Amino acid sequence: MPPSSDPTLDIVLPAHLHARPAGRLARAAAELGCRLEITHDGRTVDATGILGILGLGATAGATVTIRATGDGAQQAVDDIAQLLRSID
Amino acid sequence: MQPVGIVLVSHSAELASGLRMLLGQLGVAPESVIAAGGTADGRIGTSYDAIAAAIKHADQGSGVVVLPDLGSSVITARAVLEDHGHAGVILVDAPFVEGAVAAAVTAATGADLTTVTTAAQEARHATKF
Repeated sequence: MPPSSDPTLDIVLPAHLHARPAGRLARAAAELGCRLEITHDGRTVDATGILGILGLGATAGATVTIRATGDGAQQAVDDIAQLLRSID
Repeated sequence: MQPVGIVLVSHSAELASGLRMLLGQLGVAPESVIAAGGTADGRIGTSYDAIAAAIKHADQGSGVVVLPDLGSSVITARAVLEDHGHAGVILVDAPFVEGAVAAAVTAATGADLTTVTTAAQEARHATKF
């Protein structure tokens, strides 16, 4: 079980996580100073991996969980949550 | 710092330009991705001149990854690199679509040539679902 202390958040996607929003997510994750993972339907991928994100097949209305580890993890989770809530 | 350039080499002009449009969705600087598909007279095949021009345009000082769609487009791409190549232009063995997507998003984050090349190569292991 991952340490419970890592900032984690569930987000309901307002839109499909397809090419454009997935590109935004991967680029934003690359700017973070820490590692952030995204889980959907039991599959977890590194949020900097565009192909992993696109392989999640997360659709509008689906819940994804993001978890960050390392420096600035809480801020990272907050920032990426905001991004995911604004995808269209 | 300009992004690493990406050249899409295909036997089909539509395949290369279609992929380029998809990459545009991923937040890639359009001028850094150049399609080089089809023959000079619009048939299926590859064009030495189109590839050479594409490499020139894609190279904005940070290097270029050249992505062939199939093994046989490597022949023409290699010929171009032998004549006009330099250390900053790398022919990458990667899946055409996934490799280009991975390379493009990585390049868009300002990553260097080696990192972009690795991202394209690792696309070989990506699964669609």
